Amino acid sequence: MSGDPPLPEYSEDGVDLSLIRWMLSLTPLERLEFLEDQIDNILEIRELNAKRPADNDPSGS
Amino acid sequence: MAAVLNGAPVQTLDIDLVYSRDPANLDRLGKFLAEADAIFRIQPERRLRPNESHLAAGGHLNLLTRYGPVDLLGTIGKGLGFADLLPHAIEMDVGQGLAISVLDLETIIAVKEQLASEKDLAALPLLRRTLAEMKRRST
Repeated sequence: MSGDPPLPEYSEDGVDLSLIRWMLSLTPLERLEFLEDQIDNILEIRELNAKRPADNDPSGS
Repeated sequence: MAAVLNGAPVQTLDIDLVYSRDPANLDRLGKFLAEADAIFRIQPERRLRPNESHLAAGGHLNLLTRYGPVDLLGTIGKGLGFADLLPHAIEMDVGQGLAISVLDLETIIAVKEQLASEKDLAALPLLRRTLAEMKRRST
């Protein structure tokens, strides 16, 4: 049994430290590509939902 | 965007650019905005286009372009302009042979502390933790 204790996954104020460590493991270009993918996904989901107004009706009518 | 490039896991849809108000740069920027079909975002239906006098005034221009939303900022925080911020920027390779100057995380945090809006304050815990993690990794 040796080595440092495992790093905490969250800070005391609730910040996800594992996500920060993962982002820091990427290069700036990889971070940018990840963000672009995320934005594309969000816009695609928005577009799909905008095309289905009946599904967004909370009354279900 | 600068926070993401520095490694902070945040989401953003627009790009904030602090630009030099040097006349030669205003000319270049004006040409880019024309090519990018930039209009003011506040009333997109009016298709109002930014011109060189808007750029020279040094305020915040919230624009829509063919490449997406872009905010052009003459100054940020307590009147910090391009020349003030450049020493606090890191050159980053973003592919295709393109290197851009990105504000470092310490300065992003300092500016958000200065602005102290609800939105800026909400971002601070994550940015501070990212900075702390960066420092831990570099030791």
